[in-house]
Amino acid sequence: MTITIPNDIKSEFEGYDYIITWINKYKLIKNTGITFDFGRVTFLEANLCALIGTIFEMLESKNNQIKIINIQPQVETILRKNEFLIPFGFEKITDHYDTALKYRKFTPNDDIGFNNYIQEELLKKQQFPSHSEKLGKEITRNIFEIYENARTHGQCDFIHSCGQFYPRKQDKPLHFTIVDKGVNIKQNVSAFHNQDINAADAIEWAMKKGNTTKSGDTSGGLGLAVIFEFIKYNRGKIQVISSDGFYEYKNESVTKKKLASIFEGTIVNIKFNLNDSNYYSLRSEEEDFENIF
Amino acid sequence: MKRLIIRDIINSELAVSTENGEKVFEMIDSYLQKKEKVELDFAGITIMITAFLNAAIGKLYGKKEYTPAFLNEYLKLENVELEDRSLFKDVIQRAKEYFANKENFEKNSNNAIYGDD
Repeated sequence: MTITIPNDIKSEFEGYDYIITWINKYKLIKNTGITFDFGRVTFLEANLCALIGTIFEMLESKNNQIKIINIQPQVETILRKNEFLIPFGFEKITDHYDTALKYRKFTPNDDIGFNNYIQEELLKKQQFPSHSEKLGKEITRNIFEIYENARTHGQCDFIHSCGQFYPRKQDKPLHFTIVDKGVNIKQNVSAFHNQDINAADAIEWAMKKGNTTKSGDTSGGLGLAVIFEFIKYNRGKIQVISSDGFYEYKNESVTKKKLASIFEGTIVNIKFNLNDSNYYSLRSEEEDFENIF
Repeated sequence: MKRLIIRDIINSELAVSTENGEKVFEMIDSYLQKKEKVELDFAGITIMITAFLNAAIGKLYGKKEYTPAFLNEYLKLENVELEDRSLFKDVIQRAKEYFANKENFEKNSNNAIYGDD
């Protein structure tokens, strides 16, 4: 069977809604050769590869064979630079501007692999802010918080990750996306409260300091809240899509919406603002460390 | 006084996983059990996240014998970067709340989202 990918899918509510409805339409297909026709796609946000990779994982887990055809040269260039296309028989291509964070998937216990990935793909990049070590450190910290959250809460097979710098835009954004198809936030939060909770509300709940579905002998409930605080100061953007919930924070306001269908997993998409010269004092205050306990 | 160097225990400059936090907890715990003072040295740690600290430090509050007074006397934190210090504060406060009364905590979380009635 052949599936034609429409042009202009963006990492906005409409784009996610479209892709997730589409996944559900094809999720029962098995033992089939599936050809994705990219002929209509003239631009693709590179960080969406983490989501597309997750969809391919879903399809391949049902013994489907995936092929990609008619990919336009400008899209092909992006997807060869970030190595998304390499498993489909395309050659690697050098990223001269060094703006792509390669597409990779990690098993949940491959934290060393993910550490190396961040070292290579982020910290060594020229585009990464060397003028502000503290900003760079905070961004890296937040990416690890998201990853740790996905691997400990999701119980998934793979965590898919991808990113892209846009150094010529005014705020010099870094887009970074992590997707897993494990247990979603709605299931975790509903199970924790023993009550069915709207998915977007469940995401909002999980973003607040102190709220966690973790139990046992380790406390939790800070990771997403730390990210949320940072995004506020950095004037960035965070989107979390989980089950049929869409949550977005940008420009000091929260948007919560319901998707038309359910995504069995979680997407976290973050825009970090690298042109952030105001950010220096957030975590620098002297604490009384002598009697911290 | 036992000096524990985090970077050597976890064999990395990135303190970013729960599992590595647990390794550090086990080491601290083994010395505190013997009432030996511990100096926890964070030199060379470039990135640290809450999940690591929840396991390494927060978990100490799960043991009743480790009171704040005891920990202040027996556990010293060395070479923690200024910008990482508020993370410790958050994690410690959070762990105190969590272990003080798990049952109450779960009830409060419910109230926070559904209201008290």
